[in-house]
Amino acid sequence: MVGIRPEPPGRRALGQEDPTDLDLLGRMRLGDESALEALYKRYGGLVYTLAMRIVGDPELAREVLQDTFIRAWDGRDTYDPARGRVAWWLMGIARHRAVDLLRSRPHQARLREQARTPAAPRATGRAGTEDLGDAVALRSAVVTALQALPAAQRKAIELAYYGGRTQVEVAQELGEPLGTIKGRTREAMDRLRALLRPLIEPRAEGPQSP
Amino acid sequence: MTDEHGRLIEDLAAYALEALEEHERARVDAHLASCATCPDLLAQYRDVVGALPSGLDPAVPPPAAWAAVRAAAHRPAERAPHARRPLEAPRWLRLAMRPAIAAVVVGLVIWNVTLQRELARRAPGPAPGPEVEALSRRPGQVVILKGSGVPGANARLFVASDGGQGHLAISGLQPLPRTRTYQLWFVRPDATAKSGATFDVDRSGRAWVSVDVPGPVSDVRAIMVTEEPAPRSDRPTGTPLAEATTVP
Repeated sequence: MVGIRPEPPGRRALGQEDPTDLDLLGRMRLGDESALEALYKRYGGLVYTLAMRIVGDPELAREVLQDTFIRAWDGRDTYDPARGRVAWWLMGIARHRAVDLLRSRPHQARLREQARTPAAPRATGRAGTEDLGDAVALRSAVVTALQALPAAQRKAIELAYYGGRTQVEVAQELGEPLGTIKGRTREAMDRLRALLRPLIEPRAEGPQSP
Repeated sequence: MTDEHGRLIEDLAAYALEALEEHERARVDAHLASCATCPDLLAQYRDVVGALPSGLDPAVPPPAAWAAVRAAAHRPAERAPHARRPLEAPRWLRLAMRPAIAAVVVGLVIWNVTLQRELARRAPGPAPGPEVEALSRRPGQVVILKGSGVPGANARLFVASDGGQGHLAISGLQPLPRTRTYQLWFVRPDATAKSGATFDVDRSGRAWVSVDVPGPVSDVRAIMVTEEPAPRSDRPTGTPLAEATTVP
């Protein structure tokens, strides 16, 4: 028995014959650039949207999008399936890059706060995730779960995730005690965990939304 | 549940969101390395964080973006020193396939990870020190050592991919008298062994140990821990207590 760590078996979402994300990553590790392209087609739109949401500027969002997939290609051997799905790994790369940009360009942060997210054309989902039932279900569940949070809890999560703020910074920004913010964040995460867990586990892989 | 556990579990959600200050993050890192339950809870929080962007509507990316990605992917040598030629067997596998060494390899399981990730995965041991922090952003490999002489022993050896340095997180061993020491060995195909570290464990049987890695992990036939006379031995004399091996 030899090996690089075995990965969990992939899943063909809803009977489709698309390769799973893990299939694509395995091909990327063998140098197959077409697998990177397939992953880009699958998640490029969502990465771009996430970047737009964080940096609030199309040019910067494009920079994040490009960097994300270049880093994914360069770092394809570092993906650890124990840390979650391939898509989450990608989104993590994108978020880190976007937050770095956000923090290095305060004027962009102000832009984001003032203008909110500019409208971008929505993807039509042939190669994406729109037509996959589990992806739609997860998206709906995330939207519903976030809407179900009290506004203050949702704000705490959004400032941390999309704003890249630490708890200390959130407390300062909202003018509330740090302990309050920490408690609020934990309550929000616990509620989201309870609401989303049935859709997240087991950690199956496939062409699905993160 | 300890007070420390109770305090740090409060920070776990913010840790998953990467919303802690550096000193807070380091405290949680240290706790995760020794806590039996927090890594599972952290994994659940990370699932939530991973799922958050799926509430967004995907937009159409700028048409030129893919061309830039593809062009960059065509230049791997400039950015990816780790990149290997497609379809070439890893060196450790080629080594293991040589008839003089072995027909089958068992147990030498290598993961490519960063230590930062590894710390969040139930790595046994007490609080890692600043040297771990220094390594924490570097990519590397993890080798799992399983108890042989001591069935309950297990360990993770992290080796930075640029070589030379590593850390061993081990648990399940008995504390030793001053006259004895545990020693980590890298055994080469010619059966010579190089010492990587000497250490003792704490009262709970755990240790975090800095390791001198003598060469590529792919070049060793076995990695093992033995009990030796203090302060150290020149070659292994004790029975392997935990090991990752190839079969001759």
